[in-house]
Amino acid sequence: MNKVRAVFEKKGRAKYISHLDLNRCMQRTFKRSGLPVWYTEGFNPHIYIMFALPLSLGYESSVEIMDFNLTEEVPFDVIKETLNRVMPEGIKIVKVYTPETKHTAIKYSDFKIVFKGSGKLLQSEFERFMEQEQINTVKKTKRKGEKLIDLKPDIKIISEECQEDRFKLVLRLPAGTEKNINPSLVTDLFVPFCSNGSEVESVERMLVISEKNEEFL
Amino acid sequence: MLREKIERFLLDVQKPARYIGGEPGSVIKDKEKVSVRFAFCFPDSYDIGMSHLGMKILYSLTNQREDYWCERVFAPGTDFEEIMRRENIPLYALESLDPVKDFDFIGFTMQYELSYTNVLNMLDLAGIPVFAKDRGNELFNIVVAGGPCVCNPEPLADFFDLFILGEGEEVNLELMDLYKEMKSKGASKKEFLRKAADIQGIYVPSLYDVSYNEDGTVCRIAPLDGVSPAVKKRIIDDFDKVFYPEEFVVPFTDIVHNRASVEVLRGCIRGCRFCQAGFLYRPFREKSAETVCGQAKALCENTGYEELSLASLSTSDHSEIADILSGLIPYTEKEHVNLSLPSLRVDNFSKELMDEIKKVRKSGLTFAPEAGTQRLRDVINKNVTEDEVMRTCRTAFEGGYTNVKLYFMMGLPTETDEDIKGIIELAQRVVDLFYSISGRPKGKGVQVSISTATFVPKPFTPFEFEPQATREEIMHKQQVLMDSISSKKIKASWHDPSTSILEAVLARGDRRLGQVIYKSWQKGSKFDSWGEHFNFENWSQAFDECGLTMEFYASRKREYDEVMPWDHLDYYISKEFLVRENKKARAAQTTEHCRNNCSACGVSREIGRACFE
Repeated sequence: MNKVRAVFEKKGRAKYISHLDLNRCMQRTFKRSGLPVWYTEGFNPHIYIMFALPLSLGYESSVEIMDFNLTEEVPFDVIKETLNRVMPEGIKIVKVYTPETKHTAIKYSDFKIVFKGSGKLLQSEFERFMEQEQINTVKKTKRKGEKLIDLKPDIKIISEECQEDRFKLVLRLPAGTEKNINPSLVTDLFVPFCSNGSEVESVERMLVISEKNEEFL
Repeated sequence: MLREKIERFLLDVQKPARYIGGEPGSVIKDKEKVSVRFAFCFPDSYDIGMSHLGMKILYSLTNQREDYWCERVFAPGTDFEEIMRRENIPLYALESLDPVKDFDFIGFTMQYELSYTNVLNMLDLAGIPVFAKDRGNELFNIVVAGGPCVCNPEPLADFFDLFILGEGEEVNLELMDLYKEMKSKGASKKEFLRKAADIQGIYVPSLYDVSYNEDGTVCRIAPLDGVSPAVKKRIIDDFDKVFYPEEFVVPFTDIVHNRASVEVLRGCIRGCRFCQAGFLYRPFREKSAETVCGQAKALCENTGYEELSLASLSTSDHSEIADILSGLIPYTEKEHVNLSLPSLRVDNFSKELMDEIKKVRKSGLTFAPEAGTQRLRDVINKNVTEDEVMRTCRTAFEGGYTNVKLYFMMGLPTETDEDIKGIIELAQRVVDLFYSISGRPKGKGVQVSISTATFVPKPFTPFEFEPQATREEIMHKQQVLMDSISSKKIKASWHDPSTSILEAVLARGDRRLGQVIYKSWQKGSKFDSWGEHFNFENWSQAFDECGLTMEFYASRKREYDEVMPWDHLDYYISKEFLVRENKKARAAQTTEHCRNNCSACGVSREIGRACFE
């Protein structure tokens, strides 16, 4: 059995496909592709697909990661082309390779967040936002219900870009099984914090980072 | 651009993937390069509309033509509708995301009466006047409808330019060809409609004048401008060779019927007297096993669906059902595709067939004896005996099933309290049967669920003359049913009869109901088939304001010689046959199914051959 990892983009209309629907969508995409994919052997066999990280509805991504198995060896470029021929609009495989590490090695994820409004103004507002002693919010978790957390130690600014009517911010946030901070936790606090108001135009996952602080592969 | 505007609000609504298109299998064309654009509208939500097989067929068929482009349109959920109205987002089609009012044809499929108000709401959301008379004479925005409900389209006559009777695979393209030709000549809408009326299967309501008697019944339906006094439905002669899609649009969100589906036969041999579909879709025609298997494989490969269903009114009536199953099962097993067989009949539900189904799935079994006593089953010509029900249940229990669902109708012609008690008695005998079987599933109890629906008399059935049971009668029957339940193993569910009453009104209504539908919609009626949206009060008030009553349409007995509002529409079923069958029903006499003996319904005379060799 051959373990395969694919990195794909999820953009445009595809950003409205929810995580649950994406699984079903990929099952059908693999079926359409005719690739020799491995099925689970339970009572209700289905194609084994493991997504590394969920992506919120409405977010775009350049680096979605999924693992699957093939029962025969197929060249990586053939896998990529075969899948891309039957992918829905907006989803495109960009890389196929043999996985080096487990999904549990994922530690961070970078998101590009675009805010509407004067770049300069929003930049200084964000500075003020980050100067707060604590950035407290309530996080809903599956097991513990609601939990009060301080976001400040977990927000790392990677880059900022000011345009006349846009503010583009790249943040590194904890991701993975241990700790996961959704960018919406930050934007939901920051948007009402802005004195002149703003609006999130788009969010896109740019990079997935491993515990070694390198790109996750 | 409209798309940007739509996307600004999509994350504020439930299941946004329903409103943005882009699904695998959807067809995108360059609008500059197509000559006719057809907006195929399903007057209900995406989840329901996307499950509809007819739409998939006609969508693919139209898009096969390079210069025609068919797109999909559904009724938005109330959350999105609110935003659309507030933000001036017009109703749009899912492929191009262009407004519906940019389309040459706006075609609705009318599958059930309780979707009528959604048509008005969708036209209004599109910015198109709901009344045909208010839409001007330019040859554009032709609003058309097809589907089973247009066998009596009279309540909808004010809203549509034309109706398409019968099967659309040929006539839809003929209509679009005519449009293209006349559009290039600069013809008016009126000229187009007059010409369209000469195509078999096209009914232009404005070319027929209806007059009424003093008692409110129809006096006369007069053709105008030289059109034919009777409009005949269309059928496909060679069903084995008829176009069938090799691709479906595969939705991202889960929908009601989310699977590949092959239509294995059309029509029905059974002649159940309550069943409109059984008469409307005659003659019975089937696809060869080879065709079915080929189409099924192509569809599975192209859609990637993990479930395949064999669709028809009664799949087990296919003469080659064994060949179809033996041809498909090796393929579906190898490819991990679940095979589902809806619409199986009790009487030919064999051990072999059940073994095949059990390979796939082990949920409950559903049967529809429809009536509780043999006498009443004979009245409705549901030729199923209690022995057959018992035999099938025995097979099911021995095969490990413990849940059986039984479907019945309530308010059938000639029905008495004894017939209602018979429902529970039948269920009790199924329970007793379970405990008498030594090989029954161990450690489990049996559950017999009874579901009852209020009978709705429909046009083109032998019961089209019959009054529907009144609300009081239905309430009484439900009480009798609940009081007769003899065991905790039997669960009965029933529904408020209000929607069935409205369904009966609209099914056999005349043109005067157009105003009622309009007024009810103005009061906020939409999604009438959805319990949470249905508002009976809107309808009562609308009837009052129009000086009409629901009783006149629902619970009035029609004489055999009364002019029905649909008498000028010819579905090949003769009135003599319906009268004959009605009399036999009243005498509790059954009619054999078409394979055994032709009952001379009129279809074979129309098609010029015997339905069966």
